[in-house]
Amino acid sequence: MSLVDLIRQVSILIGLPAALVACVAAAVIVIARDWRLVLLAYALLSVMLALLLSQVIPTEWASLQVIVGGLIAVMLFLSARQLRWASRGGSGRGMQLLLRPGHEARWPQVASLSSFRLLAVALTAVAYLALRDDVRLPVVQPLLRDTIFWLGLVGLLGLALHEEPLHAGLALLTFLGGFQLLLFSLTQQRMLVGITGGGQLLLGLAISYLVLSRGLAETQPASGPGVSRWQA
Amino acid sequence: MIAGPTLLLSLLLLAAGALYFLRRVEALAALLAAGLTALLALGLWRLPLALPVRLAGRSVWLGQPLTWADLSLQITPAAQALLVFLLGAGAVTFILAWRTYQGRTFYPLGLALLALWATVALLQPLTWAPFAVVLTALLAVFLIQAGQPGDTRGAWRQLLFPTLAVPLFLVAAWYIDQAPLNPDDQTPYRIAGWLLIAGFILLLQPAPLHVAIPAVAGKAPLVVAAFLWIGGQSTVLFLLQRFLVTYPWLASAVDSARWLLWAGIFTASMGGVLAATQERLGRFAGYAALYDYGILMVAMGLRGTAGLPTAIWLLLTRTLALLTLATGAATVRHHMESDRLDEIAGAVSRLPWAVTALIMGGFALAGMPLTAQFASRWALLQLVAENDTRWALLLVLGAAGVLVGTVRAGRACFGKLSGSPVEREPGGLAFLAILLVAASVLLGLFPQLLTGPVAAVILPLSTLGP
Repeated sequence: MSLVDLIRQVSILIGLPAALVACVAAAVIVIARDWRLVLLAYALLSVMLALLLSQVIPTEWASLQVIVGGLIAVMLFLSARQLRWASRGGSGRGMQLLLRPGHEARWPQVASLSSFRLLAVALTAVAYLALRDDVRLPVVQPLLRDTIFWLGLVGLLGLALHEEPLHAGLALLTFLGGFQLLLFSLTQQRMLVGITGGGQLLLGLAISYLVLSRGLAETQPASGPGVSRWQA
Repeated sequence: MIAGPTLLLSLLLLAAGALYFLRRVEALAALLAAGLTALLALGLWRLPLALPVRLAGRSVWLGQPLTWADLSLQITPAAQALLVFLLGAGAVTFILAWRTYQGRTFYPLGLALLALWATVALLQPLTWAPFAVVLTALLAVFLIQAGQPGDTRGAWRQLLFPTLAVPLFLVAAWYIDQAPLNPDDQTPYRIAGWLLIAGFILLLQPAPLHVAIPAVAGKAPLVVAAFLWIGGQSTVLFLLQRFLVTYPWLASAVDSARWLLWAGIFTASMGGVLAATQERLGRFAGYAALYDYGILMVAMGLRGTAGLPTAIWLLLTRTLALLTLATGAATVRHHMESDRLDEIAGAVSRLPWAVTALIMGGFALAGMPLTAQFASRWALLQLVAENDTRWALLLVLGAAGVLVGTVRAGRACFGKLSGSPVEREPGGLAFLAILLVAASVLLGLFPQLLTGPVAAVILPLSTLGP
């Protein structure tokens, strides 16, 4: 038995636990404020998505999801670390001049309380339980259908609750993860796997850039060097 | 033999790469970018699509498709018209950006954006084209932020909706593929129709999904923002037209003309009302552009024999109006170091032509007489009134809102200068502002000057194939 066959069989065996972990990870992305926890949840979600995807597309293709998810998590981690180093004055490139002490503790600034987001996710879960039997997706296995529906709901909820680029970006990627499960259940095209993976990577790059832009602005004076007042 | 798409895209992308390294020599970068896009526009306009021609000793066939696996790119007559328009608008914008301090990365990234818009216009199968729209939105993130930390709402919002639209198009593609397997069952077409319409609502972003437009106007350099609106909105509307012609069942599966009309009227009304109440130049420009965008959607929604020519006419005149307003507002914002209406008093004494461009651009977007938009707006209002006079009244009320906003912005520029000394507008910038205002007045007096270009585009657009 090859490694690929082994992974495929394991993925079928652990289908339900993988779906549960993916759903919990998606909820954590929306609820948690701490960037480390959120990134860990996203990395976990990517691995679980790859396991679930390997049930509908070849394992080699599904493993691309782990690579893409891992690279996005690394990019976002580096963006967050850059903000953190800057706040500690560790960058040594003058960045510390831009940031005030204690910045790390306040970043990322989110628009709602964690308890409110927890309540929102709980209400979404109620809506999910009430509606899941009415959701009909063609050609999709019931387990994947439930996962797709949950990831879609929680992703959209995250987009509604967050405007801070790290959380909102990961909520968008969560939504797209659910969509990938649906798309590859419907059609199995190698080019589509490559293009969606490449697109997610570019999206991750743009999100990382926005994380830095917003993170620096949260502590930078409105009229810093080279910044006009209308840009602040 | 070199295929047209290969030549076009490779030239744009190679130039974008080269200009990235030359961006610090801004005058050179601007002139090279404008020169290349003007040359490409001229070449596409003059050279035949159906026959190979020799260019610099090489055989080039503009109409030859470029294929890769299931994907293909081909310059059709309708796409040719759009490309000439986009490249021409790009050439003008590069020159304006050079004189209005829009940031150095605009030249390479602007060329890359043009390449991606061209990809949207040429790509087959159609359901893959929204991928290229998302790529343009990703690239626009870097243009909107322009290397500055700050509010990321504009960049994020303009990225969000196209990204959410892509899944809808891909699932619709699956339903379209399934439909021929059971010809008696119309359900796949119906579902695909709804998915495509939902996808287009996310791509078009009418009110209340318009949130990206004012946010981009508030953050991005304004000429860059105008370029993004001109290119992005015209490309998406062109894509919609391609879908409607390629999939005739789409018009019957859902009443696309009606929802486009309603969306346009709502967008224009909301844009007009909010333009009247803004306290910042950037956001005023954003809402005035939103009103104008709603008008364009209404023209597309009317379709028929008169709707499409009016839409093309509006597309040309709005480009001039948006660039005029953006040039004026960007100059005032840069020199006065603020775009709050209560902080730009006295601008007219130091920046007379920039303020003139700002006011004339606003008047043009409101569709006032003696501006480029007057005749095209008048024609549209007559068409709308034939359907329902209440809709025409709503559009006129929106125009009144833009007019009030323009008067408020213009009035704010008068009065006494306060605070730090303000640098006088450079001669080159004044010259460009005069040119834009003069062109606007000329087209207002002689709208028939655009009859030829509009007539040339109508037939290919109404019959464009897959």
